[in-house]
Amino acid sequence: MSGAPQRAAAAPPLLAFRAWQPTAFGAVNWRGLWALYYGYGVSRFLRFGLETLAGPLVSSLLFLLVFVVGQRDLGEMLPGVGLTEFIAPGIVLYAVAYTAFQNSAAMIVMDKMEGTIADVQMAPLSPLEVMAGFALSAATCGLASGSLVAIGTALFVDYSYFDATLVLGFAVATALLFALLGTIAGLWAERWDHYGAVEGFVIVPLGLLSGTFFSVVRLPEVFRDWIYFNPVLYAVDGFRAGFIGQAETSLVLGGTLLAALNLILALLAWRLFTAGYKIRP
Amino acid sequence: MEHQSLSLAGPRVRQIGRVNGRGLWTLYMKEVRRFLNVFTQTLLAPMVTTLLFLAIFTLALGGGGREVGGVPFASFLAPGLVMMAIVQNAFANTSSSLVIAKVQGNIVDVLMPPLSAGELTLGIAAGGVTRGLMVGLAVGLGMWVFVPVTIHNPLFILYHGVMAALMLSLLGMIGGIWSEKFDHIAAVTNFVITPFSFLSGTFYSIERLPQAWQVVAHFNPFFYMIDGFRYGFIGHADGSLLLGVAVMAGFNLFLWAVTYRMFATGYRLKP
Repeated sequence: MSGAPQRAAAAPPLLAFRAWQPTAFGAVNWRGLWALYYGYGVSRFLRFGLETLAGPLVSSLLFLLVFVVGQRDLGEMLPGVGLTEFIAPGIVLYAVAYTAFQNSAAMIVMDKMEGTIADVQMAPLSPLEVMAGFALSAATCGLASGSLVAIGTALFVDYSYFDATLVLGFAVATALLFALLGTIAGLWAERWDHYGAVEGFVIVPLGLLSGTFFSVVRLPEVFRDWIYFNPVLYAVDGFRAGFIGQAETSLVLGGTLLAALNLILALLAWRLFTAGYKIRP
Repeated sequence: MEHQSLSLAGPRVRQIGRVNGRGLWTLYMKEVRRFLNVFTQTLLAPMVTTLLFLAIFTLALGGGGREVGGVPFASFLAPGLVMMAIVQNAFANTSSSLVIAKVQGNIVDVLMPPLSAGELTLGIAAGGVTRGLMVGLAVGLGMWVFVPVTIHNPLFILYHGVMAALMLSLLGMIGGIWSEKFDHIAAVTNFVITPFSFLSGTFYSIERLPQAWQVVAHFNPFFYMIDGFRYGFIGHADGSLLLGVAVMAGFNLFLWAVTYRMFATGYRLKP
């Protein structure tokens, strides 16, 4: 100030430019998060709706049909609960979980293979926001797919009892769980067959051996103790309790377990994004 | 002694007889190596999934010594699941091979060599048949550990196993040639192959269907292959065996002709 010549304050510049200004955002880059969540994740899912929404719907309904047609006379799975009523919620939740996993994992693997993951890393998003964007969009897709399957099965199955809190709570927790698993698996996978291996050897067994299609009571003694170590059992059981009004496991335990698992996986995924695990050269 | 100081003859054109055996073998091995390269995904994963299906269906539906078609439920179910593994993998192999090659543009590597339409059809179909049968064998051996498997007539098992793998390989080729994007082939899988294989009596005896649906089921070629294949194991068939053999042969002949035409005319393959 001291030595600098004073300019006339009123003199207008010859050419007026409005300088480019970076978007100002506060603690959370909401706009960026929304762009990642919707523009990058959900809209990509919806664009392939025939494949991503109608595909699971058709195969889920076929599954249900096979049970309804082939096994009509089989009686009750649990006291007062027919086979169809027992299995339908399991099929719905399986669609939720499977779509959520597939969405986040396939999205990240594809981005890594094609190099477009840099678009996400370059954006002014913190690792936490990136993690949330990927996981939440995949969870949303899982829930969308599950809702469609639920509506489809409602045509054939009598859902007279309905506890919205249980159904929504467990559906959201499961969708998040598998979306986070998918995020971590996607970061870990270097090629498509790694992704296929996780899907074939971890996700499908976890999903199928969880009491989706059978009651724990039906298991031979040896396996009955082991199945309680599968967290998906609690998810399916809690979700189904919202439809049939009875559970085989403790709902409080299941809810707590899912919440804790989600927290651990979210922290892990956050950590991986922060460290740039397998995505930063 | 003949001695040529200088030979001016250039490289000779390889003489190809009626069938380009070497080219055919190369194409076949390319198809086989393609899936063996990622065998965890193409062989092991289907095996695990099918065994899990066996476990859940037996647990959910086989309680109390239930019998279907005169045999325990698990023994009824096992051949159907093996057949489903064959069906899905044979289809996946040929369809993905063609769609990926088309999307990536390296389909020219298959179209440019001196291979006729018939040789292309045979080479690619044989790759799909190989994968289907390998997965089927792996799944069958895996099931044998858990389920008592009886063999009633090995000829029926072999005939229907090979014919089913061929049929789905040809369907996969037709689907693959028709598809222009991955979504198209996914739609064919979801809306054609999966429904046909699920509604074919894999999981239940069609005697349980309502009368009207039984008639419909008899128009599904998948029904005959699963029925005949299962007959080879348990000695009980829902439909006519002779008709099944004829349907499989006829349908494969028809599909072969369609695939051949597609390669010969270059439908959606050549610009």
